[in-house]
Amino acid sequence: MSKAKMNIDYVSLFKICIISSLVMVGIFLAVFFQKGLNYGVDFRGGAEIQVRFTDTLDTSALRQALEAAQVPISSLQAIGDDNREVLLKVQSDKEDLNKASASVGTVLAQQYGEGKFEILKNDIVGPKAGAQLRTSGFQAMAWAMLAIMIYLALRFDYKYAPGAILATFHDVIFIVGVFVLTQKEFSLQIVAALLAVIGYSVNDTVVIYDRVRELENELPGTEMKTIINRAINETMSRTILTTATTFMVSMVMWLMGGGVIQDFFFALCIGCISGTYSTIFIASPVTIMIDRMNRKKEEVSVHSTKSAVRG
Amino acid sequence: MARNWWIRLVFFKILLAVSVISLVPSLTGMDPKKWIIEKKINLGLDLQGGLYMVLGIDFNKVYRDELITSVRKADPFLRQEGAMSASFGELDVKDPADPKQTLIIEGDYATAIDKLKAYYGYSLRIVKEEGQSVTFGLSRDYLREMEATAVERSIEVIRNRIDEFGVTEPEIMSQGQDRIVVQLPGVKDITRAKDLIGRTAKLEFRFVNSTVPQAQLEEWVAKATAAGVKYEKGQRFSEYTDKLNAYLKDDLPKGFLLFFQKETSKVTNEITLMQPYLLEEISPLGGDALQEAVVRIDQQQNRPYVGIDFKADGARVFEDITGKNVGRLMAIVLDGNVFSAPQINEKIAGGSAQITLGAGDYNSLLGEARDLALVLRAGALPVELEFQEQRVVGPSLGADAIQKAEVAGLIGALLVFVFTIFYYKVAGLIACITIISNVILGMTCLMALGATLTLPGIAGIALTIGMAVDGNIIIYERIKEELAKGVVAKEAVAIGFNKAFWTILDANLTTALAGLCLLNFGTGPVRGFAVTLLIGIASTVYTSYFVTKLMFDWYVRNNRQTVSI
Repeated sequence: MSKAKMNIDYVSLFKICIISSLVMVGIFLAVFFQKGLNYGVDFRGGAEIQVRFTDTLDTSALRQALEAAQVPISSLQAIGDDNREVLLKVQSDKEDLNKASASVGTVLAQQYGEGKFEILKNDIVGPKAGAQLRTSGFQAMAWAMLAIMIYLALRFDYKYAPGAILATFHDVIFIVGVFVLTQKEFSLQIVAALLAVIGYSVNDTVVIYDRVRELENELPGTEMKTIINRAINETMSRTILTTATTFMVSMVMWLMGGGVIQDFFFALCIGCISGTYSTIFIASPVTIMIDRMNRKKEEVSVHSTKSAVRG
Repeated sequence: MARNWWIRLVFFKILLAVSVISLVPSLTGMDPKKWIIEKKINLGLDLQGGLYMVLGIDFNKVYRDELITSVRKADPFLRQEGAMSASFGELDVKDPADPKQTLIIEGDYATAIDKLKAYYGYSLRIVKEEGQSVTFGLSRDYLREMEATAVERSIEVIRNRIDEFGVTEPEIMSQGQDRIVVQLPGVKDITRAKDLIGRTAKLEFRFVNSTVPQAQLEEWVAKATAAGVKYEKGQRFSEYTDKLNAYLKDDLPKGFLLFFQKETSKVTNEITLMQPYLLEEISPLGGDALQEAVVRIDQQQNRPYVGIDFKADGARVFEDITGKNVGRLMAIVLDGNVFSAPQINEKIAGGSAQITLGAGDYNSLLGEARDLALVLRAGALPVELEFQEQRVVGPSLGADAIQKAEVAGLIGALLVFVFTIFYYKVAGLIACITIISNVILGMTCLMALGATLTLPGIAGIALTIGMAVDGNIIIYERIKEELAKGVVAKEAVAIGFNKAFWTILDANLTTALAGLCLLNFGTGPVRGFAVTLLIGIASTVYTSYFVTKLMFDWYVRNNRQTVSI
C-alpha cells in the first residue's frame, strides 16, 4: 500500500457539496409532495397476506375469483421468480380487516383446494396501531439524535454537536428521499435501518472529531480549517476501509438476503454512502462555521475589555 | 510473556470455549436437553412462525360505561330509601377522559345527597350542584386505580386463557399504558386464539369440602405427581386437572373434585402457587345468576367489601343454598381456577350479599375487593379489548428467511475476511479471528440473556460483522501512522492501541445510544434488531480492543522489528 500522505483540500469542496446537498433535498421534497412516501402496512394500517401455492399461479384468475367474492383487495402482486407466491393487500378504512383476510382464506380454499396453498404471512394492522407505530418511530429517531447530541457536547465540546446532528439529519433525509424516489415500501424495518444508519454515521463523525480534538491540543492556535483538513486526510484510509467492509456486507445482504432483509440493507447501503459523505462534507464545515463564530465573539469580548481598561 | 497476558489469555479461552459449547444445540438443531448446557437461542415469531397481537384498551369508553352503570343505580336506591327518585340528565363528554353525568332528584334534595354520598363512597365525586340537579364524575382515585389495574388484570385473565391453548412460551406484556402485546409462538389458528382471548369466562360457585385436611390434599397431588400425572408447561391446565381427578378417582370422596388456586409469575411465566381445593362436583349456582358486584365501603368500620346482587331466580337459589350450608366455604371459581373461598355466615335472603375480606390495611383490602368484584362482575376481562394489530407467520416463511439470510451473511463475512487479510496481511488475519470470536460471544450473550433472535436480529449480526472490523481498522491505521513516523514496532503497537481506545469507545457508545432508543421503540422483530445491535456493540468493544491486543502482544513479543500490517 502506498505510504504517501494524502493531502486533499476537502475544506475547499464544502461550498459545492452544501449546494448540491440542498438541491438534492429540494428534489426529494418536490417528489415527496407530489408522490408521498409509500408507507407499508405497518404505518398505514391495512392487511397484507402472503400466500405460496404448490403449482404455478395465474394471477388474473385469482384476482377475478377475489373480486367475484367481493374481497376488497387493493393490490395483488406476484413475488419471487417461480410464479408461486403472491402478496395480497387489503386497504380499506371502513371494511373489517379481519373479515377481509378471513374471506381471502375462504376464496383460496374454494378456488384451489386445501393443501394446495400455504398462508406464509398474514399481517393485520388497525389504523390506530398504524398511527401509533408511526409516532413512536419518529420519536425514537428524535430521541436518538438528542441523546447523541448531548453525548457529543459532554464528551467533546458543544461546538461539535450541531455538525454531527446535521450530518445524521442529512442521512435520514437522504434515505427517506431515495425511498420517495423509488417508491419502495417504507416499513417498520426501514425505521430500524434509519436508526442503525444514525448510529453508524455518528460513528464516522466521532472518529474524525476525535482526531480534530487531538490535533487541537497538539497544535494550539492553528486555524480550525487546517486542523479539520488534516484530520480528514489522516483518517481517510480508515473511513474508506470501514465504509468498504460495511458496504460489502450490506450489499450482499441486500442482493441475497431475501424478503424483509433486502429493503433493510438497501437502506443501509444508501446510508453507508450518505453517512461517509455527510461526515466529511456536512459535519466538518458546520464545525468550522461554529468555531469561526466563537472566535469572533471572543475577539469582540477581548476588544471590549481592552477599551474598558483604556476608558 | 507477562503473567498478566497469560491471565487474559486464559480468560478469553475459557469464555470462548464455554460459548462454543453452549451454542452447539442452537447451531446444529440438536435437542438441548441432550446437551451439557440445556439452552437454545429463542427464535422470534417471524422465524419460527406464530401469532403476534396487540390489544388496545379504549379507556374513555371504559370510564363512560363505568360512570353510567354507577349512576344508574341511584334511582332504585333512592326509591328504596324513601319518597325520593332520580332521573337522568345530561351526559357531558367534553373531556372524554373525565365524563360527567347529571341527575335530577325528586324529593328532599339534602337527604338524597347524603344518602347517595354514603352509598357511592369513594368511587364518585360531585362535580356540580344546582337546584335539584347534581352532576357526578368518577373520583380521581378511582380513575387512577382503574387505569392501573385494568392492564394488569387483563394480562392475568389473558394468561389464564392462553394456558388453555397449550402454548409453550407465551409472552404477554403491557406496552405503554393502554396496550397489551400477546405473542404465541407456533400458533397458527388465529380465529381460535382470538375467540379464546375475547370470550367471556365461566364463573361458578362450588362448595368446599373442609372435612378433608389440606395436608391430605397435598398428599394426593404428590402421589399423582409421583405416578407421572403432573402439570407440564405448555399443557392445557384443564387437561391436567381432568387427568388428576381421573387418576385419584378412588381416593377422593364421592361427588368431589380437586381444583387449584393458581398464580403465575408475570416475569418468568412459571407457576408460583398451586393450592389444591376439594370442591363439590356439582355447582349449585353459576355466574349467570349474578346481577351485579361492586366495591362498597362499610361506613362504620371503614372497611371495603364486595356487595353482590343476584337476579330474581338466582336470589331464590342463593337463599336456599346459603340456608342449607351456613358455616361452609363457598369457592368462587373462574375458568376452572379457584379465585377465593368466602365463608357463608348466615342464610341470605333478598338476593343481596356481602363478601367481607380478611385482614389487611385499607388500601390492600380495596385492591382485593376490586379484583374480586371484577371477577364476579362478568368473570370477563375487566375492560373491553380491541384487536389493534395481528400478525400470523407460517413456519416455512421463517425457515426460508433464516436460510437465505445465513447464506448471504456467510458470503458477506467471507468477502470481509478476504478483503481484510489482503489489505492487512497478518494483522488482517488477527482481525478475522477477532470478528469470528465476536460473533460467537455475541450469540452466546443473546442466548444467556434469553433474548429473542428475529430476522432483523440476524441483520443486526450481519451488520456487526461489517462494522466490527472498524475497531481493528482504527487501531491498525494508528499503528501504521506511528510506524511511518519511524517508531519501532512494539512501541508503535502500544501507542496505536492507546490512542485508538477512546475513539473506539466513543464511536461505539454513540451507536449504542441509537440502539437504546430503538429498543425502547418497538416490540417484536424490530426490538430483536436493537438487541443484537447492542449485544454486538458490547462484544465488539471487548473483542476488537482487548482480544486484538491479546493477539498483538503475542505477535510483537521479543521486540520484533517489523509488523505485517
